[in-house]
Amino acid sequence: MSNLEKYDAVIIGAGNGGLTAAATLARGGAKTLLLERHNIPGGCATSFVRGDFEFEVALHQLSGLGTEKNPFIMRKIFNELGVMDKVEFVEEHHLYRMTIKDEFDITLPASWKGIREVLIENFPDEEQGIKDYMLLCERVVLESFMGFKAALKMNSEDMLMKNSKHYAEYGLRSAKSVLDKHFSDEQLKTLLAAYWCYLGQAPRNINFVDLAMMLYAYGVFKPWHIEGGSQALSNALLESFLEAGGEVQFNAAVDQIITDKSGDKPKVIAICTEHGDVYETEQVISNASSVVTFVDLLDTDELPEGISQDFKSREIGTSAFCLYIGLDCPPETLGIKNASTFMGTTMDEDLMVETMATLNPPVATMLTCYNVDDPSFAPPGKSQVSLLCLQYGKVWDDVPVEDYADTKYAFAEHLIEQAEEFFPGFRSHIEEIEVATPLTMQRYLNTPGGSIYGFIQNPEDGEIHRPRYDQVEGLHMAGCWQGMGGFQPTYMVGQSTAKAVLKKLKAQRLAEQDQTQTQDVKEPANV
Amino acid sequence: MSNQYITNKEQLLSNLVGYVESRELIAEREKIGSDFSEDKGKNTAEIAKLHPKRLNLEVTEIFQETPSTKTFRVRSARGALPPFQAGQYINLFVNIDGVETARPYAISSCPTHRDYYDLTVKIVKGGFVTNYLLNDVEVGQTFSATSPIGTFYYNPIIHGKKLVFLAGGSGGAPARAMIESVLSRGVDADFYLVYGNSFAEDVIFQDTFRALAQKHENFHVMEVISRPEEGYEGLTGYLTGELINEAVSGVDEVMFYVCGPTPFNDFCKSELKALSVADKRIRIECNGPPKNPSSIQNWPTEVSEEEMVTVKVRGKGEFKAQVGEPLLNSLERNGYFVENACRSGECSLCRVKLVEGEVFNPPEAKLRKSDETFGWVHSCVAFPTSDIEILY
Ligand SMILES: Cc1cc2nc3c(=O)[nH]c(=O)nc-3n(C[C@H](O)[C@H](O)[C@H](O)COP(=O)(O)OP(=O)(O)OC[C@H]3O[C@@H](n4cnc5c(N)ncnc54)[C@H](O)[C@@H]3O)c2cc1C
Ligand SMILES: Cc1cc2nc3c(=O)[nH]c(=O)nc-3n(C[C@H](O)[C@H](O)[C@H](O)COP(=O)(O)OP(=O)(O)OC[C@H]3O[C@@H](n4cnc5c(N)ncnc54)[C@H](O)[C@@H]3O)c2cc1C
Ligand code: FES
Repeated sequence: MSNLEKYDAVIIGAGNGGLTAAATLARGGAKTLLLERHNIPGGCATSFVRGDFEFEVALHQLSGLGTEKNPFIMRKIFNELGVMDKVEFVEEHHLYRMTIKDEFDITLPASWKGIREVLIENFPDEEQGIKDYMLLCERVVLESFMGFKAALKMNSEDMLMKNSKHYAEYGLRSAKSVLDKHFSDEQLKTLLAAYWCYLGQAPRNINFVDLAMMLYAYGVFKPWHIEGGSQALSNALLESFLEAGGEVQFNAAVDQIITDKSGDKPKVIAICTEHGDVYETEQVISNASSVVTFVDLLDTDELPEGISQDFKSREIGTSAFCLYIGLDCPPETLGIKNASTFMGTTMDEDLMVETMATLNPPVATMLTCYNVDDPSFAPPGKSQVSLLCLQYGKVWDDVPVEDYADTKYAFAEHLIEQAEEFFPGFRSHIEEIEVATPLTMQRYLNTPGGSIYGFIQNPEDGEIHRPRYDQVEGLHMAGCWQGMGGFQPTYMVGQSTAKAVLKKLKAQRLAEQDQTQTQDVKEPANV
Repeated sequence: MSNQYITNKEQLLSNLVGYVESRELIAEREKIGSDFSEDKGKNTAEIAKLHPKRLNLEVTEIFQETPSTKTFRVRSARGALPPFQAGQYINLFVNIDGVETARPYAISSCPTHRDYYDLTVKIVKGGFVTNYLLNDVEVGQTFSATSPIGTFYYNPIIHGKKLVFLAGGSGGAPARAMIESVLSRGVDADFYLVYGNSFAEDVIFQDTFRALAQKHENFHVMEVISRPEEGYEGLTGYLTGELINEAVSGVDEVMFYVCGPTPFNDFCKSELKALSVADKRIRIECNGPPKNPSSIQNWPTEVSEEEMVTVKVRGKGEFKAQVGEPLLNSLERNGYFVENACRSGECSLCRVKLVEGEVFNPPEAKLRKSDETFGWVHSCVAFPTSDIEILY
């Protein structure tokens, strides 16, 4: 081991949470080191090149940006991070098309009013329910940000019941129960619950507020993606970090978080990389999975008490099986008219979720074609598509390594068959294809089971039940393992975690200054 | 934070419908759940089953294939090697007279053998590593290597039922793996190998290929010699479109795999284009950095390959390098290690950021768009055309 430099803060991992944390710290004046085990920043938010195509790995729809006229929180955050002038955002014009075999085929526009119109047009008998439901979504979402937060801050039951009564009444109910309350048409319920797959749990196992949030946020503030893919934003964040004096190392996994165990709580003093380099620091922000961080990296003999307790009620969340496909034709040749399509052969969401834990043919898949809104995603006349279904990593545990390749191709065939059914001719236009399994996700993200959203997001896994870890002094988590998965949540948690660390560093500096000043004053007195 | 506050907060939150039930569920799950501490090391081990970062290999047998080619059979002390897809390669790290460098070699054995990999290496005139491997390496020598990677392999989803491998020289190595793999798995496809070599005595795996063709109705091999001795009776010349068309009918439904020296690959590609074979039906294995970068379009004409420039590595030091040498090679010669695998511009492991100055990125450099925007280059195929400063 060689002892090297000392840093104000070290960040483990350059995924969304790590990058926003790193940029925030460096721009806030902290001497920061970012260590990433892969050769490129981004984690999920990345791309790779095959033939004529640069494939977007993860970002389907970025939320939280809002338009220039009607901006939302991510615009402010990206501004603060210094990346607004480094990337171009592309607005998508549809929420999604949902098509279920022998049932329905409906496309929702990216507009709150437009959604209402399309829903009423297709389900005229449910007009009142639709109006009530959408109003409830709006109220619950807004209250969760404002009335509820204020009540919590003031610890006031009065305020809670007055300013966030819809949230209190419906926010934590299951999404399914609220849908059932408003509608009798199963098709309508299925259509409105489509975004469940961004959370990875069936509607009966997600909080209404989380489903409402997605419909409202994408409906009002639009879905977006990024020119050049999410990799462009990852690279921009890194650039902003470097411009502010940050230092980065790729191909440099952190192997150990070293603590001083003499006090009540273990206290971070250094980290050690796979190359045996040791960097001193008292503040570590980990973007790696919390299981890896505490079980594998932290050098204590046992898990800190509170962590152990929290982990006991957790389960590893879903991964994805994903085909990255380059087509030799433009989207319209195959009748692809909007960016995001949810396809399925059933309306039974429980069956969809059960299938995620097997290698059976998926009953629900998602197809995203970026070229619909952004022709620059492929060379002229071609297009890029990602075709995926959610899947748990553990289904691969029993596949012998020598059967891995055959098994993944066989499973890929199921997805292609489904695409072929909704987009006839699909297969014959495939020019380039790369198959990613949960094991691929695990390899590139270093997450147990290849999880892409962190722990399973049951209602009882919401932030409201899960305080931030503070069992190790100087060790902070930033990423989808504390809080929600997805782009917006991980960008936000990275920034807020780093801001808290900056505050600590500042307080520490002031305290040190105080000390030297008192010493300065004392010394002459001694003379 | 006082308990008082926590209690009050709990009380406040219990006004939310569903809150209390969730707290109870958490308490239930805490009783039966695991805290994952028994999984220490599991994640790393699972990743390493398929993709260990490094393999430690020992040469256990050496076969002289032809006067210019040897096969090195390598094994791991840890037993079975990672699975791979026939056609993939490993990057072999070597230390020659103090210089740490590496070269990629296709695995020429079939993936059904997991106890060893065969690496079949043909000498390159003036080659730094191949000369060392063929002249100095003996049984018992150990090497470190990457695990198998690469995108040149048979893809059952879209490659169809008629497969044609155009191999030149050492291209016979991945060809053997791919052919053996397809035949042994009983894939429902016709496989043709058209194998070009300069000299009749250079044909690698000649007996193997001929025996396979005898045994399997769906495999056909054709040897083509470009510089035959007098009296040679087989096919002679180059792998022209005419010859390919004669060997294989219906070229428009064929998937072509092309692997050989760069001029061979370029020639095959233009012949196939002349036959109107679509781009998506031609898979060409990468083959190292361009040998004469200054002959490539967009090379800055005022700079010659022989010029010397200064390469500064931020925070680490600086050295002089020749314009015509790939940056990765000059970094290695000066003692800087940069991770690498394909050494041909496609895997991005050797990514470094150009902070100052100019480099030439040839078409081999498969850069992501935003890497280009922010100055990241693939050092294995980047040529410094001015004094530069890099960061990695
Ligand atoms: C196929 C797919 C589709 C998705 N679609 C969407 C979508 O449309 N919308 C949406 O909002 N979200 C989507 N997501 C989810 C979203 O991308 C993720 O939840 C989010 O990006 C996770 O970010 P993160 O910051 O938690 O970390 P990650 O992206 O998991 O990054 C963690 C980083 O830490 C590094 N690391 C781990 N261990 C170490 C170590 N020991 N030392 C150094 N580095 C280490 C990893 O290499 C990685 O770079 C999708 C994800 C995938 C894979
Ligand atoms: C993916 C892949 C798989 C491969 N599989 C095989 C295989 O199975 N079997 C096999 O035999 N080969 C294989 N090769 C090729 C093999 O890697 C080369 O034969 C090997 O790299 C040659 O190395 P060398 O050190 O001997 O030659 P080098 O020293 O790299 O020289 C090769 C030639 O190029 C010239 N040259 C090299 N570098 C420069 C430079 N910077 N500027 C100008 N000229 C230069 C040399 O003078 C020489 O003529 C593969 C290559 C790739 C990319
Ligand atoms: S080593 Fe693969 S791109 Fe350079």
